[in-house]
Amino acid sequence: MSKIQTFSSFVKRLIIIIVGLLITLTLLFSLLAYFVPSVKELQDILLSSFGNPSLMLNYLDQKGLGLNSLFFKVVVFPGFTWAALIAAEIIWFERKFLAKMQMRVGPLYAGKIAGLLQPIADVIKLVFKEIIAPSSSDKWFFLSIPIIITSIAAALLAVLPVSEGWIIMRSDVSVLIIFALVGFVPIAVLLGGWASNSKYPFIGALRGLHQMIAFEIPMLISTLGVVLLTGTLDLVNIVYAQSNIWFILLMPIGAFVFFTCMIIELERIPFDLPEAESEIASGYLTEYTSMAFGNLQLGVYIRFYAMAGVFTTMFLGGWYGPQILPNGFEIANQVIWFTIKTLLVMILAIVLRGVNPRVRIDLLLRMGWSSLLILSFVNLFLVILILQTELSQIFGV
Amino acid sequence: MVETSNTESTLIEREQKLAADLKSRFGDVLEITIKSKRIKIKVKSERLLDIANYINNELGFDHSTSVSGVDYPNSKEFEVVYHLSTYGREDFRDIVIAFSTRISRDEPKTLSLINIWPSVEYSERETFEMFGIIFEGHPKLEKLLLPEDWNDIPPLRKDFKPPGR
Amino acid sequence: MSKLSLSVGPQHPGSGHMRIILTLSGDYIIEAIPDPGYVHRGEEKLAEYRNYIQNIPHLERPVVLDATGAIFPYVLAVEDLMNIIVPERAQFIRVIMAELNRIISHLYYMAIYGIFMGHSTMFMWPVGDREVFIDLANTIAGQRVTYAFLVPGGVRNDMPEKVKEQADKACNYFEKRLIEYEHIFMNNPLFEKRTKGVGILPKQDAIRLGVVGPTLRASGVKSDVRKDDTYSIYNQLDFEIPVSNACDSWSRAWIHMEEMRQSMSIIKQCLKRIPTGPVKLNLKQIKVPPGESYSRVEAARGSLSYYLISDGGKVPYRVRIMTPSFRNLITIPYIMKGVMLADMPPTYWGIDYWPVEADR
Repeated sequence: MSKIQTFSSFVKRLIIIIVGLLITLTLLFSLLAYFVPSVKELQDILLSSFGNPSLMLNYLDQKGLGLNSLFFKVVVFPGFTWAALIAAEIIWFERKFLAKMQMRVGPLYAGKIAGLLQPIADVIKLVFKEIIAPSSSDKWFFLSIPIIITSIAAALLAVLPVSEGWIIMRSDVSVLIIFALVGFVPIAVLLGGWASNSKYPFIGALRGLHQMIAFEIPMLISTLGVVLLTGTLDLVNIVYAQSNIWFILLMPIGAFVFFTCMIIELERIPFDLPEAESEIASGYLTEYTSMAFGNLQLGVYIRFYAMAGVFTTMFLGGWYGPQILPNGFEIANQVIWFTIKTLLVMILAIVLRGVNPRVRIDLLLRMGWSSLLILSFVNLFLVILILQTELSQIFGV
Repeated sequence: MVETSNTESTLIEREQKLAADLKSRFGDVLEITIKSKRIKIKVKSERLLDIANYINNELGFDHSTSVSGVDYPNSKEFEVVYHLSTYGREDFRDIVIAFSTRISRDEPKTLSLINIWPSVEYSERETFEMFGIIFEGHPKLEKLLLPEDWNDIPPLRKDFKPPGR
Repeated sequence: MSKLSLSVGPQHPGSGHMRIILTLSGDYIIEAIPDPGYVHRGEEKLAEYRNYIQNIPHLERPVVLDATGAIFPYVLAVEDLMNIIVPERAQFIRVIMAELNRIISHLYYMAIYGIFMGHSTMFMWPVGDREVFIDLANTIAGQRVTYAFLVPGGVRNDMPEKVKEQADKACNYFEKRLIEYEHIFMNNPLFEKRTKGVGILPKQDAIRLGVVGPTLRASGVKSDVRKDDTYSIYNQLDFEIPVSNACDSWSRAWIHMEEMRQSMSIIKQCLKRIPTGPVKLNLKQIKVPPGESYSRVEAARGSLSYYLISDGGKVPYRVRIMTPSFRNLITIPYIMKGVMLADMPPTYWGIDYWPVEADR
């Protein structure tokens, strides 16, 4: 705040302080008046629930925060916390696995066993750094892009069916929602590169735009195969349709195309052209520091988990799997199988990272617009063949 | 080369033949010294281009390995030495010709041989900035290794003392 | 399409300590101007103020990875002026160190080549395997990277007994690894697509520009100082020079791999044939008579040469160092014209340019 030089600035300062105090105190008292009864209630329940935990659960149910409420689903279980935990541990797994492939050790010290808490240590470090925005950039836009990208990634989680009961929003047009959200990402990337107002982010953002737009189409067409076969856009119904046979066996080409497009959309090595560190110095991520960077990385890995979950749902039979837990725990069984399959898909993507150099933009676009597109159409025709003949009867689709 | 091999006499023979050939064509403008596999030719600056062309085209020494400047403050001269070698003529691949000319220290100017041997481009620039020798005809005679704001005398001259000496 | 002027480096993870000023039109490079000089230390001037032995440590430093190749021509030039003959055992040890440094430098080349194409495994494996050879150099010379081991008159100390066994183990291990490198790195379809046909330097241009080292041999010219202008005991050894006519970045990487094989074979031959005897002449002082000497050696990156002028005093009168990176600098404007920006890393790192060595 600027120094007080004259009497008029002193009076101005005084008025601002008094008005501010009045407003704050009013708000504070009204909040207290609302919460004090519930605080008292909470205290009573807390004391008595040491002997009888279900009292606490009933209380939370009453307040709309219980185990079956929307709040729990969005924030804790198949929602943000679950995804963030998986994202953090996938970061750890990726670094450890790559290290073993490359004859080195990887994270070792953070956390007592094998560096398990390394991603959390990284996040804490990032929180303490300073958020810098270049002076010539559009500051508010620049800093809002990580939040936009993470929100899109988190929104994808809303339609992902982790098991029969645990889905945040079941809708008739889930597949459309997914593709609408996926299609928004290239625009956000371009905005991020443009808002940085610097040469390298600009080149990176343009590359990201070309890459992502080119590969949405083969992805859509291979999804179209799945939709034709089941006749529905609802992800839960798509899983129900795979109760006899998984779709990856019926349309292996489609699964392959979808998997490749998924890795490209997520900008993973070998397709990380928008962030090619050696050529364009981190591309559109160059100017992001501290929590803005951390937010972006969180968004990237949550999107990784969400897209892998979509792949599992559409091609690997969702939550179906043999009952390995005792009876009565069906839901937990479904959750376990879904998680195992999603993790397997993510591990396959990580293996690809260790073996290949980066691909060039013109080779990539050529592949997308010619080979993958043709393959996805071939897949579509095969699906129509299955539908029109009796093969669909045989497979029980 | 340190070893004396038993074919040394024949090796000196090649160098002697080359020296005799050059001396017969250009006469007193040259001063030639011979060692095994190394020929030193000192030229007066008038016939520089002709002799360089001859060595490039007829004798087949198709590239220059380095350009060095040497400062002789006692005789107030710079010596510019071009070392030449060949990839094309396989029988001469081990011979290196040191082709040198002496220029005045107060007005150091000489012709650039970049049109004959394009490989001297950066070496001549470096000699220019380290000694202050101007190579006439060089397309881009600017600083190469020194910082842009260097405002002292060219550093490899003998009268430039490094700081602390 | 409007032109964009881009400055690759020195603050860039893809450039080393050097700047290249690119002019882009879209994604294609129309002009590439190198701007070296960021690590210029004035080695040639420093050499005029230290005597002949004091010069050895600091003259090794520019060419860090290949320290023996940097100092070999210097000691050859001094010995030529002093007209002394080095004992046989010292010559063999010098050749073993030179070839070891060649392998070490080439492994680092492969590592840097890979990481700038985004292939982190191609960085980790060569750097890890390089430790095996650095340990061997440590056993022979007492230091891991820069040794101050070669002196005029021989080498400083004798090799310990266990070198032969350690070298055999290292060479056997690495020969197997080289086969794996070929499968995973060289024959990787993505790697081939990105490096074949990229950064073409035709044979005529290579000769005209005076290019040296693997870059020259990748353009079809079979020239190596160890065979052309043979020095030390190389004429007693049996090895080949890999040459390729493809003139592109892939063949430059391939030639580096083949040279590593040949170096291992040379080390094995030397260890078998090394005689016993003294390893240095017991010179009371290094007294260099006046004269000039030009000597050259095939260092890892190409032909490194020294032009040494002595006036009979304690310190050299003029030391002119010509390093292979400085000679290959001239190719940068030629091979980068018309290349895409994404092809700049394989092109630039393919010619094995080491900025510290070029700037001296």
